[in-house]
Amino acid sequence: MKGFDPKWRDVPHFVMGITREIWEDRAIASLTHRYAPGLIVRSPASVVVDNSRIIAATMATLAEFPDRELLGEDVIWCEDPARTDATTDAFLSSHRLVCTATHSRPGMYGAPTGRRLAYRILADCAISHDRVTDEWLVRDQGAIVRQLGHDPVAWTRDLIAREGGPETCVQPMTPANDVAGPYDGRGNDNEWGARYAGIVSRIMAADLAVIPREYDRAATLEYPGGVSDRGWSGADRFWLGLRAAFPDATFTIEHVIGREDPLMPPRAALRWSLHGKHSGWGAFGTPSGAEVYVMGMCHAEFGPFGAAGGAGLRREWALYDETAIWKQILLRTGDL
Amino acid sequence: MKGFDPRFADLPDYILKITHEIWEERRLRTLDHYYAPDIPMRFPAGIVHGNRGTIDGTLATLAEFPDRRLLGEDVIWSGDEEAGFLSSHRLVTTGTHLGHGAFGKPTGRSFVIRAIADCAAKDGTIYDEWLIRDASGIVRQLGKDPKRFAAKQIAREGGPGKAARPFAPADDIPGGYASRGNDNEWGARLASILTRIMDKDIAVIRAEYDRAVRTEHPGARGGWSWDFAEFEWMNLRTAFPSATFAIHHVIGRSDPAQPHRAAVRWSLDGRHDGFGDFGPPTGAPVHVMGITHAEFGPWGLRREFTLFDEIAIWKQILLHQGDK
Repeated sequence: MKGFDPKWRDVPHFVMGITREIWEDRAIASLTHRYAPGLIVRSPASVVVDNSRIIAATMATLAEFPDRELLGEDVIWCEDPARTDATTDAFLSSHRLVCTATHSRPGMYGAPTGRRLAYRILADCAISHDRVTDEWLVRDQGAIVRQLGHDPVAWTRDLIAREGGPETCVQPMTPANDVAGPYDGRGNDNEWGARYAGIVSRIMAADLAVIPREYDRAATLEYPGGVSDRGWSGADRFWLGLRAAFPDATFTIEHVIGREDPLMPPRAALRWSLHGKHSGWGAFGTPSGAEVYVMGMCHAEFGPFGAAGGAGLRREWALYDETAIWKQILLRTGDL
Repeated sequence: MKGFDPRFADLPDYILKITHEIWEERRLRTLDHYYAPDIPMRFPAGIVHGNRGTIDGTLATLAEFPDRRLLGEDVIWSGDEEAGFLSSHRLVTTGTHLGHGAFGKPTGRSFVIRAIADCAAKDGTIYDEWLIRDASGIVRQLGKDPKRFAAKQIAREGGPGKAARPFAPADDIPGGYASRGNDNEWGARLASILTRIMDKDIAVIRAEYDRAVRTEHPGARGGWSWDFAEFEWMNLRTAFPSATFAIHHVIGRSDPAQPHRAAVRWSLDGRHDGFGDFGPPTGAPVHVMGITHAEFGPWGLRREFTLFDEIAIWKQILLHQGDK
């Protein structure tokens, strides 16, 4: 990898390696060179600009969950030709992690509960020059809050109050407060990425019949809120619940990666958004009319057991942040 | 596939389709020709001889869980038309406890568990079988305690003198399948990992498993990373520390568009002479029938699925205590 420290063999090694160094080996200060100055980290809960704030947030999380482990399940990546030059290679890495931790110190989640947490994170990072230059991240906040014993809506309402009320609280990410970063790639052209983008796009166009056509009948599914489900009915429940809540919202595929690697099944990573009114009954209760921006990410693995002997979507991990959606609904409706 | 109906594309297709026909399409009488008349079906709970018993068992299960679904996750197979195929079929099964049966009065509760069936097939017929269902996963999800459930089962079957005996090697009936699997390196690798774990070389897990491994074990217990896998295996081994571990069948496969994977059938045979998941040592003779499936990835063993039947283990322990 030109432009990277020669100790990194490949993109997954770099991404998993720096994650381990920063979080588990406590080289938090390495963020000063691992992360580019002025780096923008977009999560559904906020748009964070600059390293100093990222280092502060990392320390706050580790202070609250000191035994936090980040288990890297997969890195689905693509080349970034537009930012590759004579001095560096460039890539976009979509990293799926399971995070385990004990809530053992006071912090953002309140007084320590002593509870054990396990939840997923999907993080898209643009990398070049041996560092991260742009980032999009979705953490399964619904799973964290539930495992700590809270109701996501009540917890979000309380969060708004703890952040000083609706005027001063941290604003969830929307196109209005997004900040453009250096990465403007759309992914790669691999057929598995295109296939997964096609499946999710058809679902979002209300063609739910695509699920039995494209998913393995025994698909293993991991969804927001720490929900594990399986099979066609599980996929139907999740995607229908989301779309039904925002039936008129604009669905956009933001980024698509597909890969075929040795030792791995064909797989894909998507980043997408759903932007519009909360105007339907679905996964978010009574239609409120609130304008909502849903930032979503998902990974999939394909296997041999699809319809008519073809490939089928065998494992899926989809994430959005329920609390960021509820925050937008509560702020717009004033139900505080 | 010679000897099989041409509508089956390959062995996995055959296994997935006949499972669907028999259970979900309710075509129980297809077992008259899909299963050999004198097939031995070895369950950890005991051996069933002949396809009439299979039909009755299928009917009883469907009557108890009429909405039972069988979702085939994988078929890891070996063999050929001449020697016979061996399919190791991993399923997720779901159902609602709506009828009377082996699990007692209907509770209305639902379960999600895994099962692995090793079936030998030749000329379109299954003629030899080993099947492990996560019985304690069902029992727990129906709101019952595995040990108490095993004790009740013994009472319902007429007490320790009359109750059906769980499977022991002495009860085995040869069914005609004699192969020990194939020679693929990934099968050998999983067999070696399991052998080292059972040799109490627990460090093999950190050496061979992906740090983000997902492990699924009996009792519908699942967890991440090395410590969960270590905890599970140590708890099994420490209950039977002097038992003999044996590998019976090993399959490895490297199929296009799939990760390398393996299926190993094994047993642990000896005395309940240690503390562990099964309470204080009782000295009971115990036979544990186990099957493990694994998928390998670029960072080691990435997914592990192991089944043995905790209810059958409790039953052996309780029957031994009742005999005294």
